[in-house]
Amino acid sequence: MKLTYPTTLVLHALAQGFRHGFDILDVTGLPSGTVYPILRRLEQEGLVSADWEDVAIARDEQRPPRRYYDVTPAGRLLLKTALARYEVPRSIAARGRRLRPARSS
Amino acid sequence: MSPLALRFALWVIRTIALVVPAARRIAWRNEWEAELNHHAASLRRRRHRSWSTDMDLISRALGSFPDAAWIRRQFTLDAEFVHDVAYTTRALAKSPAFTAITLLVFAVGIGAAIAIVSVADTLFMRPLPVTDPNRVMTIWQQNRASGAERLDVAPGNALDWLSRTHSFQALAIAEPFTFNLNVAGRDPDYLTSARVSEQFFSVLGISALHGRLFAAEEYRRGAPRVVILSHGLWSSRFGADQALIGTTVRLDAGDPYTVVGVMPTGLELRLFDDRARRAEIQIWMPKPGFDEVESGLRVYGAWNVLGRLRPGVSVAEAQADLDVISGQLAREYPKTNGSIAAQVIPLRTHLAGGLRDLLPFLLGAAAILLIVSGANVASLLLARGATRHREFAVRQALGASRLRLVRQMLVESLSLAIAGGTLGLLLARGLLDVLGRFRPLDIALIDRMPMDARSAVLACGVTAIAALLAGVMPAMQLSRPEAVTALREGRTGSPRAVGRVLVILEIAAALVLVVGAGLLVRSFMLIERVDPGFKRDHVSVLQVFASNRIDTPAKRIVFFEHVMERMRTLPGVVAAGGVTAMPFGEARVIARGLLEIPGQPPQGGDGFVHTTAVSGDFFKALDVPLVSGRLFEPSDSPASRQVVLVSRRAARQFWKGADPVGSRVRFQFSGQAFDAEVVGVVGDLRHEALDAPAAAEVFLPYAQSGFRALTFVVRTAPDAPTDLRTLKEQIWAIDPVQTIFSAATLEQLVAKTLSQRRFDLLVLTGFALITLLLAIAGVYGVISFSISQRVREFGIRAALGATHGDIVRLVLAEGVKLALYGIVLGISLALPATRLLKTLLFGVSATDPITFLSVSAGVVVVGAVACYIPARRAIKIGPAEALR
Repeated sequence: MKLTYPTTLVLHALAQGFRHGFDILDVTGLPSGTVYPILRRLEQEGLVSADWEDVAIARDEQRPPRRYYDVTPAGRLLLKTALARYEVPRSIAARGRRLRPARSS
Repeated sequence: MSPLALRFALWVIRTIALVVPAARRIAWRNEWEAELNHHAASLRRRRHRSWSTDMDLISRALGSFPDAAWIRRQFTLDAEFVHDVAYTTRALAKSPAFTAITLLVFAVGIGAAIAIVSVADTLFMRPLPVTDPNRVMTIWQQNRASGAERLDVAPGNALDWLSRTHSFQALAIAEPFTFNLNVAGRDPDYLTSARVSEQFFSVLGISALHGRLFAAEEYRRGAPRVVILSHGLWSSRFGADQALIGTTVRLDAGDPYTVVGVMPTGLELRLFDDRARRAEIQIWMPKPGFDEVESGLRVYGAWNVLGRLRPGVSVAEAQADLDVISGQLAREYPKTNGSIAAQVIPLRTHLAGGLRDLLPFLLGAAAILLIVSGANVASLLLARGATRHREFAVRQALGASRLRLVRQMLVESLSLAIAGGTLGLLLARGLLDVLGRFRPLDIALIDRMPMDARSAVLACGVTAIAALLAGVMPAMQLSRPEAVTALREGRTGSPRAVGRVLVILEIAAALVLVVGAGLLVRSFMLIERVDPGFKRDHVSVLQVFASNRIDTPAKRIVFFEHVMERMRTLPGVVAAGGVTAMPFGEARVIARGLLEIPGQPPQGGDGFVHTTAVSGDFFKALDVPLVSGRLFEPSDSPASRQVVLVSRRAARQFWKGADPVGSRVRFQFSGQAFDAEVVGVVGDLRHEALDAPAAAEVFLPYAQSGFRALTFVVRTAPDAPTDLRTLKEQIWAIDPVQTIFSAATLEQLVAKTLSQRRFDLLVLTGFALITLLLAIAGVYGVISFSISQRVREFGIRAALGATHGDIVRLVLAEGVKLALYGIVLGISLALPATRLLKTLLFGVSATDPITFLSVSAGVVVVGAVACYIPARRAIKIGPAEALR
């Protein structure tokens, strides 16, 4: 897995509690065509885990269930290396702290 | 956030989902759809609604493509293909001008070609609601002396053809008939109908959609009155109710008719080829036998004859058979049938109407346009390929295989071809819809034109192959080992030569079309300037067939006189008159009579002249000049002696230049004969079309004639408040249920006869201009490509002291040389090609030197202009460029 700057941003956003694809787009400002292939690759390498949101929540909001992602321990380790190499914008962490804990199954 | 943007975004996801391997597709789609829906919902909650959030949503949806492509690469073996597509998208997006131009060229060529072939196919190949339609013929009368063709048939001739010919399995006649239709609250209207003889439906080989056809005994005299309705009338007036069959409907003056059947839909035969507005016969009735009188009418008639050829008999054989019969008739009835012959026209050709003559040229034009756009796409791709030598060389140096490079180019060309083809199909559909809406008057069924699938495949195939060949060629060339030199130099060989040949061909093709269009334009301009013998501005024309209630000549004279009286009193009316055969009128009711001068041998051809009755101030209303003598006066009544006026042409033909005023003539028409005195000579009137010369004509006072129909002709002052509606109301004030067959201004009627020409002109000019534009784009492409290849040369020239003028001359010379080659080739092709247009030309020859020269000069000028922009670029190249 190549450790690029966008990969670092995505990992960092996930670690800060942004768990859905479009939330990561919003907070990192990266285009969807970049973020999704990174998520796929991370998932393939076992650095990120993914699952489907509880159907009940989705039903409440009248939309299909979303897929959410989480950083695995291996992912956290990689993120630490990555943060040593790249500087990430503080805004992600700042906005992440205001997030509620993810409601998921 | 508009719902439309979300819908579009979801549609994008569904489309891109096809790239994802099937096993993962559903999950993939669910994830993306959930994100988009959630995003849209949260935007909606925050009442964020702007153009930019919409665009953001769509661009996020488009971003799913790399995702989908990535997944596909992981799980399937065609990963490289997906990669090629992604690379292509980037490469094409990087040069938007090239992409747009190529797509446009593709679309125009394919679209126009498909549209034209579809039109031809609809006209000549489509299924008709008729069994074995290629054996169904229409048979018309033609006058060998005057050259008039496709005339309605006189009953006597039709009956003889029916009884004597052996080429046809079945022959039948149809006779026009009109029902007046009065519905409370609506203006009186009429229904077009036809009375048909017994074999009619077996000639067509059709059966009723509902109900039945007429039984044999219903064709006898005195049989109960039965009708078959057209599908259109049955649906529009009777709510498509099947229970109607077997019941009676009241038509005309309330007479009961039993409906026995309904015809199938789309039965548009264009019978009674007048300029009436309705192409479909609405009511069919059996013709109860034939009259004694009818078999005696041999010159003028309104019948249409249809026949089904015997199996194995060709059109030419049937024509030869009828020619023999016409010869017999000419010997038996030398007075009437001397120059009358039968003319066999296949039903399909008849239905093609005026497009018949233009179609060969149009098909040629479509082929040319297709070839030119193929050539243009090819030269665009060649030029682009040549500029990418460096890119290919780099990729090759980095280890890309030759196969890989060629495949990349294949994918690029194919993507362009698919996108261009799709645009072309859309364009073709649009063109067909437009053609359907503005259909020229006499083409049947063209408003329901399907797109022709085979031509679509062919057109897309031709351009796609051109694109593939041209696209792959640079990659092939370059993947040769010696091409590595491209890394250093960036020079190429053959695409330039190929490009030049293509451009010369394009110019030649464009020249052929532009010359054709030019000839039509000149014909049109000449024809518009023709003087029809009357002034057409500010004249209203209302054509009326007196209803059955006004049944004697005396009543008719009173009725028409009263209406004209009322019209004259309207504000702004300068003159009001009436005429039986209105020049350019919608219903053709030209009668012919035999004119003889007692004591002299028969004069002027067969002695037949147009016979027209006039009343009121007809000549004043049309501004027809009185040459000598006097016009009719109110004192020329049924009681006074018979008088006639003759047209200038009739005077020349029968009196050889002597003044006919005061001489006595013997006149016969529709079974009556009388002696009359010529009281005056008036100017010639053209009746049929501006390009048909005026015939010899004799005018009678309406009061002395006994004709049934009359057309009101009213001239108003330029700013008069009186319009067609007010004039109609004058007729209904006298008889509230009188049907008005047609009401229009004379300008409109004359324009109508030009509408086919205008249509031909527009279509061909459109083709010509598009082709010329493509050819010019070709010149531009080749020249600017050539300049980009000769940067070093221009730099050196500039260093050696070449002035701007020298450089511009050099570039222009190159372009003009191409144009000249193209013109020489084009002229040699145009000389035989324009002969196809002969029937459409008026007043110019097919090899008109003025048109040829001016078009050629125009092409040179436009070609030079196309070179000017690249030439400007060449000027800017400084000596320093040569050293880079």
